Amino acid sequence: MVSDTKVKRSLPQGVGQFTPKWMLFTVVAVIVLIAGIAAYLYEASQGMIVTGMANTGTQGGVTWGLYVVMVEYFIGVSLAGIVLASFAKVFRVKALRPISRLAVLLTVCSLLVGVLAILIDLGKPIRGIINMLLYVRPQSPFFGTFMLVAVGVLLTSLLYLYLDGRRDAAYLADIDSGLRWYHRLWAMGYKDTATERLRHRRTMFWLSIFVVPLVIIALSTEGLVFGIQVGRPGWFGSLQGPDFLVLAAASGLANLIVLTAIVRKVLRDDYILIEHTVFNWMGGLLLAATAAALYFQIVELFTLLYATPGNERQLADALLRGPYAWIFWLQLALLTFGLVLLILQGVRRRWSVGVSVVASVAISTSAVAERYLTVIPSQTHGMMLPYAPGSYFPTWVEFTVVAGLFALGALLIGLFIKVFPIVPLNGMKADQEVLVDA
Amino acid sequence: MTKYAMAVDLDRCQGCRGCMTACKVENNTVEGNFWMYVFRFEQGTYPDTEMSFLPRPCQHCDNAPCVKVCPVGARFHRDDGIVLTDADRCIGCRYCELACPYGVNYFNWQKPENAQYTIVDWQDDSLDPVTGGLVPPYKNPDLDQLWGEEQRRTAGGGHDKGVMEKCTFCVHRVEKGLDPACVETCPTDALVFGNVDDPDSPVSQYLREHQTWQLLDEAGTRPSVFYIGGSPPSREVTEIERPKATV
Repeated sequence: MVSDTKVKRSLPQGVGQFTPKWMLFTVVAVIVLIAGIAAYLYEASQGMIVTGMANTGTQGGVTWGLYVVMVEYFIGVSLAGIVLASFAKVFRVKALRPISRLAVLLTVCSLLVGVLAILIDLGKPIRGIINMLLYVRPQSPFFGTFMLVAVGVLLTSLLYLYLDGRRDAAYLADIDSGLRWYHRLWAMGYKDTATERLRHRRTMFWLSIFVVPLVIIALSTEGLVFGIQVGRPGWFGSLQGPDFLVLAAASGLANLIVLTAIVRKVLRDDYILIEHTVFNWMGGLLLAATAAALYFQIVELFTLLYATPGNERQLADALLRGPYAWIFWLQLALLTFGLVLLILQGVRRRWSVGVSVVASVAISTSAVAERYLTVIPSQTHGMMLPYAPGSYFPTWVEFTVVAGLFALGALLIGLFIKVFPIVPLNGMKADQEVLVDA
Repeated sequence: MTKYAMAVDLDRCQGCRGCMTACKVENNTVEGNFWMYVFRFEQGTYPDTEMSFLPRPCQHCDNAPCVKVCPVGARFHRDDGIVLTDADRCIGCRYCELACPYGVNYFNWQKPENAQYTIVDWQDDSLDPVTGGLVPPYKNPDLDQLWGEEQRRTAGGGHDKGVMEKCTFCVHRVEKGLDPACVETCPTDALVFGNVDDPDSPVSQYLREHQTWQLLDEAGTRPSVFYIGGSPPSREVTEIERPKATV
């Protein structure tokens, strides 16, 4: 450091600069979030009668509705982020490094929202938290959802995000800004000495290795929730776990691509920090995941077509040409459309951000529809006793609450970007320093 | 040891649905919820049609899928074979409802007081001339007691918003040595209840003397409800006269 001069540095990547556009985004998100909270409070006071759900069987409804669909979707989305970041860390993929923090952030936010959706779906949410701690039964697949996903993966991802950002926080803590307290808190005494850095790197390496099997095991239980049930047509099967993971990977990568494209816009001049090559990487990975997801879909389609008379046939009819046919064929079309766009780009070896985003939106929408088809139709059609078929359509309360969940996720990501650099700072500190006379 | 079971004689059942009504009155269940349900089936085309009936209480399975999936042990299997829900522990995740192949579980989607069959305030003085101050069984205090070795609040489902309920084999009556309300009410004695570990009990004798079958045997749930006569419902039958009541 030069004597008699003060090092004056500004916060990088627009951190701390709350621009009008950002304010507008935040206001809109907060309004939607408040609407969601209001809808939930209404539901909490009146009971879940205000949703479109009813009991299966004599009441001809579904007992797991849109909330559980969104739980499956959000938790699925969380898979890709942390796995991608760990992959980049362990195999030292430099190209993916700039989006690793964004990826883990996506995991954390989608898990938070997913866990919240679980609680919203419970008849007794507060009792749910307490009793899951007091009386938890590992024999139930919900152990996986509550303990492995909600506690294990969420806390590990938060720890990952925290530790991975500590070095940057220590750097930011030296900068005089309104957010200094926050960066100091994050750094928590970290000084970036050689010993600390080595320990840090080792910790991150092992954490990256540890987190992948944890995530895969935990998220597989989301599929098992359905896969081990003999009492419902279409659910029992060993493929539910892998099927869940494959679509989870596709929907997660799709969301990450959209998010990366948005962040690049938001970063303005700093967009060069996220090089275009990340889209090549993510596009390729999404292509592989989508192809695998489509493969699973086609295997499932053939199984449905050959379903024998009985409950499975009744469900197959409902899916292929019954009340769910439009969702079934639409999601298959969206997935195929997304895949074709990705293949075309892959063949030309030119990955356009715009086309990738279009493909991603199609794939992500298809994933929501697929989760819907996993959860809902088995409850209304093909009951094992000859109850008449049921039906389900979500009410405005459910739609508003789900919109609120999306808004909360967007808000968390939006807020994070303004208080912490979304692209890791490693190796670019010199560019940010501006020496001024005292 | 005591092991409770129920025999349902379909050759005697006339489909009057008296058991459904008795269950509702005894357990004060929510409108639209049928812990005991009687299917009315029709088969064939007019004029060659045939009607059949199938009472469907909870099957109180020995290998109950609902017990296995409950994340907090609110749904449990007693040593005497009765499968119950602890209304004070249930978190309302409704997984048991999906695990059950028989569709016997009913979730309380709203505060049940708003949806009882009777929404009369029985404490209202103006009713005295009619009731003589008596509170009908709708306010059965037994439903709020703690029952069994476990001393858990299992009868009547707790009548709480956001928890799961189902047939309890009228545990509060069984504990007093009485038969479940549906059995008590059945005008044709199509329902027989008792201890199958006691060879002299009416249900043991009944099961010895008749050939029985179990509902959805293939699901491997090992129910405590045994059917006599009739035949397992096939895909050929159509359910008629579904209840009009909704939640």
